[in-house]
Amino acid sequence: MTVAAPEANLGILPKSDGSATFKYGGYTVTASVNGPIEAARRDEHPYKAHVDVIVRPAAGAGGTRERHLESLLESSLSQIILVKDFPRCLIQIVLQVESVPANDYVNTKLVQAGINLPIIPALVQTAVLALLSACVPMATTAAAAVIAVVPAGGSTKAVVDPSQRELETAVSSHAFVFTAHGQLLLAESQGDFTMAEWEDAHATANKICCEAAKKDGMEMILDDEKQAGPDLQAFLRSTLEAKVTEDLQWR
Amino acid sequence: MAASLTFPRTTFAKLSPQPFLLANLSPPDPSLPSTRTNGRHPSQSRVPLVTTSSLSHAHGSAVVRTGDTTVICGVRGEILPVTGIPAYRPRSFTEADDVVAATVERWDELREYDLVVPNIELATGCAPQLLPGVPPSTLAQTLSTRVYELMHTCRLVDVDELRIWYHPARNTQEGGDEKMEEDGGEDEEEEARPELKAYWTLYIDLLFVSLDGNPFDAAWAAVVAALRDTKLPVAKWDVDRDMAICERNAQKGLTVKGLPIACSAAVFLERDQGLHLAQEGRHWVLMDPDRLEDEICQESVTVVVDRSGGETRVRALEKKGGTVVGVEAMREIVGLAERRWEEFSNAMPKK
Repeated sequence: MTVAAPEANLGILPKSDGSATFKYGGYTVTASVNGPIEAARRDEHPYKAHVDVIVRPAAGAGGTRERHLESLLESSLSQIILVKDFPRCLIQIVLQVESVPANDYVNTKLVQAGINLPIIPALVQTAVLALLSACVPMATTAAAAVIAVVPAGGSTKAVVDPSQRELETAVSSHAFVFTAHGQLLLAESQGDFTMAEWEDAHATANKICCEAAKKDGMEMILDDEKQAGPDLQAFLRSTLEAKVTEDLQWR
Repeated sequence: MAASLTFPRTTFAKLSPQPFLLANLSPPDPSLPSTRTNGRHPSQSRVPLVTTSSLSHAHGSAVVRTGDTTVICGVRGEILPVTGIPAYRPRSFTEADDVVAATVERWDELREYDLVVPNIELATGCAPQLLPGVPPSTLAQTLSTRVYELMHTCRLVDVDELRIWYHPARNTQEGGDEKMEEDGGEDEEEEARPELKAYWTLYIDLLFVSLDGNPFDAAWAAVVAALRDTKLPVAKWDVDRDMAICERNAQKGLTVKGLPIACSAAVFLERDQGLHLAQEGRHWVLMDPDRLEDEICQESVTVVVDRSGGETRVRALEKKGGTVVGVEAMREIVGLAERRWEEFSNAMPKK
């Protein structure tokens, strides 16, 4: 399946410290970042900044599922943000989901309690872009991917950026978030799989998320090296380069 | 002066938990093995204790204890008539089996009609930091979501056992009439098909009696044990009264597919300096963390494994909050989870 290339816009909200819109694989997410700002008394930590993530769904009010996504993002993002540089502060990230891919085969319920695994990459990517736009100091950036293992005539095959339909029929689905150095930051998998299958999915996702970092953008991509998906680190870099060039136009 | 600077263990733990755990894990004498503050080896889990059928008014119940984490789970079935389901998609008796077998598309009734409703209550005064009687905390909501999702992805309950059918009267009438009806023609055969009239909805309530770290493992084990213990009354649809009638004495046990067991670990870093320094310094992977360890450690891993089919199948995997655990460490944790599975499957009451 071919998915349209990712799209991103930085600094779209005039009032917040940083903001970004990210569009990929049917998901559109807008994020705003404010920080470091004064933390509420109960969130205050004497040695580090508190990272507060708020996820708002495309329709309806947030439920238990959003709380779960928030806790996942909070723990991961506070690892890459240099939280120790801002004691007693708050870095607030608000993620508004604008659109989600629709499945033509089933009518979707408005309120769902389960984990929404395929939305994790879109949320992480948007959050990282918004944090960069807000100039929040970070140790590294992060990139994320979803892999689904779908049955294909007796055996299984791994699909990068699966469609809703493929996710429905998948034996197992995996979401991975990697830092720019290729370390696994967040992993969420469900379904029925063996460790060997998980390691394969891990390797594929790692390739998508961190290939640019390893090559440092200098070497040519050889023909036999087939890209399984878009190079997300390169995308992150080019988006920011474009934004910086635009901001320096007045000179 | 030196004497005034010494204080007891518990004070040290409360004043500076991180150095306290570090001092325990790396003893000054290198010949001593590293132990945790609770006396366990880093890869040692607490012994699970499972008791079932302790609640008399629930259809199934279980109490699971691992160390000082105690959770009680009750399962109660309630009848949901199909007329009460918005956007109900009717299906006939013959279609039921054909559709599932023929197509890959799974019309997931369990999820679509919310036939299993897990809820976790943490505000019971089970731990000092959780106030009793407050709205559900983020932790409680996160746990509920994870339990809900895992129940669906594991397909623990077969929806077929939750269906309540209406068998038209023809089947129960005496032999004399049967001959006459057979002459009646095809029209009546069509009408005589069983009809799906209601579902059992399973309300799964979990209450934490006490919480000493690692709530998910205990909660999940309690759900599995309680469902294995669940016996629903045999129900039939009474067309005259337009309601489901349960038989007084007949009960049927729920079949639970497989035995998935959750196993959690926390990663303790020698130097908690944020990611740019995470690779420096030592780290320990602590299995089945207690409350102190849960509070200090930021990185946590949960794997759900099922070995009931012989080989190890991973049913869910979650890792968050750090970068220490990669492929290698994950493999080790799954290895330890296999051991944990054996422990739990021995602790589960035999059917």
